[in-house]
This record gives sequence, structure tokens and C-alpha cells, in this order.
Amino acid sequence: MIEFSNVNFEYRTTKADGTNDDIIGVKNINLRIRDGEFVVLTGGSGCGKTTLVRLINGLIPHFYTGKLTGEVMVEGMHVKDTPIYELSEHVGSVFQNPKTQFFNVNTTDEMAFAAENQRRDPEHIVKLIETTAGFLNVRKLLDRNIFELSGGEKQIVACAGIAVLSPSVVVLDEPSSNLDHDAITRLGKILKKWKDEGKTIVVAEHRLFYLKDLADRMLLFRNGEIEHEYDSREISTLTLDDTERLGIRPLSLLEVPCKQKEKDAFIDYLRLENFDFSYKDKKHSIHISDLSVPSDCVTAIIGHNGAGKSTLARNICGLEKHCRGTMEYHGRRMKYKDRLHSCYMIMQDVNHQLFTESVGDEVMLSMTDKTIDEDEKEKRAHAILRELDLDIFFETHPMALSGGQKQRTAIASGIASSKPILIFDEPTSGLDLYHMKQVASEILKLKELGKTVLIITHDYEFILQCCDYVLEIEDGQVRDSYPLDDHTIDKLRRFIMPKVKGEGNV
Amino acid sequence: MEKGFEIKDLITVGVFTALYFAVTFIVACLGFIPIFMAVMPLIGPIFAGIPLMLYFTKIKHFGMVLITSVIIAVLMFIMGHPYPIFIFCIGAGLITELVLRAGKYESIKHCIVGSVTFSLWLLGMVIAFFFGFREAYFASLADGYGQEYVEQMMSYTPAWMFYAMILMCLVGGGIGGLLGAKVLKKHFRKAGMV
Amino acid sequence: MGLKFDPRTKLMLMITIGLIMMSGKLTGPEYILRLVCTAIPFILLLSIKSFKSAILYAILLSGTVFCEGFIVPYTNGVMNLIVMTICGVISRFGPGYLMGWYFVSSTSVSEFITAMKKMHFPDVVTIPMSVMFRYFPTLKEEYLSIHDAMKMREIGQGVKNPFQYVEYVLVPIMMSTVQIANDLSAASLTKGLGVNNGRTHICRISMKAYDWLLILAMVSMLVIFYAF
Repeated sequence: MIEFSNVNFEYRTTKADGTNDDIIGVKNINLRIRDGEFVVLTGGSGCGKTTLVRLINGLIPHFYTGKLTGEVMVEGMHVKDTPIYELSEHVGSVFQNPKTQFFNVNTTDEMAFAAENQRRDPEHIVKLIETTAGFLNVRKLLDRNIFELSGGEKQIVACAGIAVLSPSVVVLDEPSSNLDHDAITRLGKILKKWKDEGKTIVVAEHRLFYLKDLADRMLLFRNGEIEHEYDSREISTLTLDDTERLGIRPLSLLEVPCKQKEKDAFIDYLRLENFDFSYKDKKHSIHISDLSVPSDCVTAIIGHNGAGKSTLARNICGLEKHCRGTMEYHGRRMKYKDRLHSCYMIMQDVNHQLFTESVGDEVMLSMTDKTIDEDEKEKRAHAILRELDLDIFFETHPMALSGGQKQRTAIASGIASSKPILIFDEPTSGLDLYHMKQVASEILKLKELGKTVLIITHDYEFILQCCDYVLEIEDGQVRDSYPLDDHTIDKLRRFIMPKVKGEGNV
Repeated sequence: MEKGFEIKDLITVGVFTALYFAVTFIVACLGFIPIFMAVMPLIGPIFAGIPLMLYFTKIKHFGMVLITSVIIAVLMFIMGHPYPIFIFCIGAGLITELVLRAGKYESIKHCIVGSVTFSLWLLGMVIAFFFGFREAYFASLADGYGQEYVEQMMSYTPAWMFYAMILMCLVGGGIGGLLGAKVLKKHFRKAGMV
Repeated sequence: MGLKFDPRTKLMLMITIGLIMMSGKLTGPEYILRLVCTAIPFILLLSIKSFKSAILYAILLSGTVFCEGFIVPYTNGVMNLIVMTICGVISRFGPGYLMGWYFVSSTSVSEFITAMKKMHFPDVVTIPMSVMFRYFPTLKEEYLSIHDAMKMREIGQGVKNPFQYVEYVLVPIMMSTVQIANDLSAASLTKGLGVNNGRTHICRISMKAYDWLLILAMVSMLVIFYAF
């Protein structure tokens, strides 16, 4: 059982000028979670759901410092007075980012890690790993190099590690953020198995559709407080309008309408001819003999993990020398060097493409035209940033901005580069409803500017917000490509949700 | 030595040691080109000093730099460098610890000095090299030219070259420290990460 | 062959070879020991099927012997010094480095850490070492991604200003290092990692008969080395 009594928490952070800043985490939390209950925490960004998770697994107050009042009890232990080492025997945690939560390089070692730390008998652990691998159907993931796994597989390994230890409580903080629909389905099945085992489960999430049938209770957070509580009956009666109003993502994907109307024929195309490329390890490759994508709209590139979407994007961008084939665009035939001058990519990890010490500099860095002088560059930078509501940050260091603001900075740099093709790699990972819509509107603005926009994404709701065309990739080849409207939306649905009610193995 | 180490400290040691080592190693690989090999003790610390400075700002108590130096010694050893590396690494590590402690873990200036003293570990790499080829060269010379000539050469070469190496390490460490401080101010302080 | 030697045995090998190679003279029993030491890495590399490295090693060494024997007597002055230096370095330190290569290729991270623990290295050293090995591949991934971004933004190309290039690459990596230290600490704590709390290991390493035999051989070599 988990009990919160009059809990308040404020994070203490130090700002750039050395002064302290207290940010409210949660306020007035009085909550009791029964054994075996499945609770979903949701709400917009910064609403307090992550803070609540941290209060359960002990990261607050043992790792994140701040002002904590009230009492948190987990399985009879006072969290404040119990070291995390002891708490972790009873509380397992799964985090948002698959890339940064594993300690070992080998998957089997990682699965054994939590149990090893609890000083379980090694032979016993090895047996447990065997049984867990069978139970969760992850035998193929044993004894592998974690760096070779996809994000979804990494998350599954993290879950397996918890299953080996088998604590009575499991907390998850936005576990589906970086996962595609297949992986989310697998995750959902694991959660169901845990629920059937009687574990108490608390999940903080934006993407709710896979939890709808599992949740016993859903708590809606706003500004650190629990605004509303829904029981399982109320959850099932929430409509799309309700969730829109509450600011959370849809509970049922099938209800989401298509915003795109049927279009007149497209005018201009981007054409790939004899596009062939393969990495040295021969693992990922693309073979596209002839593909035309409309160039005056937004195209979504979808595909399962390892299908070749990123490979394709990198090659379109001109990042690979050894790519054979040409791209025809606006009347020009382009090899990889020309494509480098025409494409700008907004990467999945925006931190990798911000290099300067101010947002203004960052935008001006992209202006590689040597005929413009410094003053002109600055004027244009201001103009671009104004359009994206970033002008107040002109002198701010990009790393001091929030994730969304950094992404907009990268977009601004893209516009400043005057490159006509913009490619986005998973721009809405981990975003709540409001921010996802914000990104969608920025993309539509880019379309108005006349840019060709390609987006690698698996965010169904996002695709329906702003994409006109869909390109489906499988095994490095084009499986299908179609304009998106009321008629073709079924094709998209079939890809995203192949089995409406999934049964069988994970 | 207080052992008030928390997991956060140990993980910080781990990641920054990895980064520092990676930068040093990459620069050292460039040093395989004979011309660069001689100035490696200068160039290595210049570049490696930058992440080193960031590391120092994360250090708030005794012992972390020492662990880094031990780890580097072990790594170098399994890569084939003979045992003097341990002496130099741990020595450089200890001196740097004392420097940082003197600055109460809050002074950038002390961090820069720390960068100077820490780079002395490179001498451990260089010194074995030194003794090694010296022996080989003179041993064969003795066969050809006679013992007297050899003794003359032996007394002549080592001293100045060795001092030159020490100087290169110190200067390189100093430049690296200053560069690191500049980068910290330009980026990290501005972004509020220091 | 492919015998799985305990990492501690391998370390003993390295210490022995390092000591003998570093200060061994070119005559007498020491010379024979040096020859033995030079041959060991070659055999070991073959045993783990590292054929390319073994052959490269053999070629390099034969090259040095060739040079020392036939080219050196015909050169003088600076040329002599350079050739002698290179030959000397390769023949003296080659075996040591190749042992290092063998060690790294034949030992997994968990085996290495378990060995360190058995040798009573404290947690404060072994935990950072685990983290370090786990972080190296991440560094590589980060670098490749940043390199892509730089190419795409057309900055830092060409060697105009090495410091500028280093700034572009190192600053994002350093920032990401700080972030990862944070995330990894939080995750590890929730998995029960503690300092000096005692942990069990599923990785098994043990000294077998052939390990002890090899160690005996090494010890005798050292005895001979220092006695004469």
C-alpha cells in the first residue's frame, strides 16, 4: 500500500546567477493506493505526475533536493527515512529514456543488476532470468549488446530486469515516450501480466490509449495538485471532446478525426531514383528504385523499427557519401553533395545540433550566404525568431531553454539556412497534447513558407494534425505511399493498430 | 581520506574519466605520426584539459580525482604500458587532490592549476618509452662503437629531453586549463549548468 | 585452443612480459626469455582466433629483426637513430601492447569487473570503472550524431581552425555527459546500487588448473630473469 498524507514538495534549483529558485513539484497530496491497484497519473507537462512517481521510489528526497512536508509511506516504510537501497527491494522503476537508464552493456547483466544489488543468490538469479525470459518472451534479447537494441527493446529489457527482482510495486515515468506502436503494445502486455500478478502499478503518462483498459483509477494533475479522479467506469466513458478539454491525449486512437480534406492533384514532386545504400555491417539498407513524394506538403514517413526510415532520411539529407542514385527536386538532379545544401534535419536529440552560446548566434550560424553582412544577418535572425516567439531569448544560451524551445531554435536555424527541404526525426517524443499541437502548427507554418517537410514519426495523433501524405517504409523499401484523407486513413490505422484487440504473446 | 562517496559521485567519476581518457587517447593516436609523437605531452593536455575543467567543477570532496588517476593507470596497464604508469598516475592524482582541496573546491584558479598538475601522469607513458629505446640503442651501439662512446651519449641525451617533456606536460596542462575555464564561462555558466 | 584464462592470469602475464621486455638485455638467458615473451602474445592471439592481429604482429616483428640485422649497419647518423628507435620501440614494447590487445579482446566488461572485485579493489574504483566502460559506446554514438549535425549545418568542415572544431564537438558532448551522469545516477539508485553494500555477481570467474600452471611458468621466468 502507498499512502500520501498532506504531502507538498518544492524543487530547489540554482539559477545561472547563483540565486535559488523553488519550483513547486506537488501540493496538498492526500492519496491512498491499495495493493494491486493500477493507477494512471496524467496531465500537461510540469503538472506534478513525475514528482509523484519520484516520491514513491524515493528519488525524492534522497536524490532530488528540496522542501518536503507531509508523510509518504510505501509498503509500511517511511520514504523519508528509508534509504533508496532498501526501498528498491519493493519498488521497481522504469524511466522515460531507454538510452540513459541502463548500467551494463550486456542485456543479461542488466537484467540481473537489480537482483544482484539486493544480494540475491547468483544461481537463483540465473534461473530467474531464464524463467522471466520465457514468461515475457524475451529470449531473443538475452546476452546481447544493449547498444544494438532499439528503444523499444531497451525498455523491454528494463522491464525484464524488474521482473527478475519482482518487487511488489512498480512505478513508470512516461515509459512509452520513445517507443513505436509495436513496442507500446508489448509494454502494455507486460503491464497486464504484472497487474495479474497482483503488483501495485503507478504509471505517469501522456499517451493513454494503451492504458485505458488496464487502469483502475486515473488521476488528473494540474499545477501540482490532483484536479480530478476518475475510476475505471468513468474512464471508459470519457470522449474525445472530454480529453481535448482536459488537455490530455486521446484515450482511444480510433476516435481521432482526420483533419485533412481531399486534395487536388499535387503540383510538384520530389523524386528519388535508384536510391541505394547500405551500411558496412549490412544490417540496414535501402533500395528504392523510383519514388515520388509531393514537394509542396508535409509527408509522414512511417515504418517499424529497423525499417530504414532514419537511413532514408540521412541519405536524402546527403550525409552518406556512398549513396548511389539521384534525387530530382525543383528541376535539378542532385547527388549527395547537392542534397547536403538543400536539406536541413531537425534531429531527435536536438542537443546534438546546437553549437553556439546564444539563440541569435545559433540562427545566424545557419546563414552561410557570404553576401549578407553581419547587420543584415542579425535583422533576419530577429525576424525569424519573432515568428517563432523566441525573440526574447535572442541572447540566451540554447542549453538554458526548455526542450520545446530548443526544438524551435533548431527550426529557426533551419529556416535561416534557406534550405528548401526540412526533415524532422521524431519531433513529438514525450510531448503532451498542448506541445504536440504547437509543433504541428509550426510545421504547418513551414508548409506555408513553401518548404518541403518530411517527418519521421509514429505519433498517430500528430500525423493526423499536420500531415498530407504518408510514406510507409519496410525493409528498406517503399511499401506504400498515399495522400492522407478520410478514405485512406484506414490504411494508416491498419499500420498503427494491426490487431485492434491483441491476444497472444508479447 | 574521507569516504563520503555517493553513487552520484562515483558515476560522475566514471563518465568524466571516460571522456577525459577518450580525448587523450584520440589525441595520442594522432601522435603515432612521428612528428607529433614528440609534442604529444603538450597537445594532449591542451585538449583533454577542457572536459577536465568541467569535471573539476563537479568535485566537492577529496578522492574523486585520485580514483580517476587509478582508473587511468589500470587502463594504461592493460593496454600494455609497464608499471611506472601507476606511480606517475597516482602521484599526479594526489598532488591534484591537494591543489583542489586548497581551493576549497570552489575556486576556478585552483582548477586550472589542477589541470597543470594532473597532466603529469603522461610522463608515466613517456618515461618507459624513453628508458626502453635508450637501452636498445645503446646496447647495440656498444657492440659497434665501444663502451666509452655509449657512456658519453647516455650522459648527454636524457636530461634535457626529460625536462622538456615535463615542461610540455605542465604548459599543456596550463593551456588546457585556461581553455577549459574559457569554455566553462562561455557556455556552461551562461546555460546555468555550473 | 581457445582456453578461457582467468583475467587475473592474464594480468600476471602482462606484468611478467612487461618487466622482462622493458629491461631485458640482448644477450644470455635474458635474451631467451625475451624471445619467449615475444612469442606468447602471438600464440594467444591465435588462440582467440584474432588472425589478422596475430599476422600483423608477426610481420611487424620480423620487419624489425630484418632492419636491425641488415639495414642498420648500413646507415649512420640521424637515419641510424630513427631506424634504431623505431625498431627498438617495436621490439621492446610490441609484445606488451599486443598483450594489451589480447586482454581487451578476450575479456568482457563483467569478467574484468568481477576480477577486480576478487582482487579486492574497492567499490569506489570498480563502480566508476563499470560506468566508464558503459559510457564509451555512448560517447561514440554522441560523436557520430554531432558529426552528422555539423556536416548538415556545414560548419567545422576543413581544418581551418582546430580549436573551433573541438569547441563544436566537445561542448555538446560535455553537456550531455552532465545530463547522463544525472539520469544514470537516478536510475542506478532505484535499482539498488549502493556503495560498499555488497553485491552478488552472476558472472563466474575462477582459477583453473591451467591458470595456475601458467602463473607458475611466469613466476619461474621472473626468477630466472632476476637471478641472472
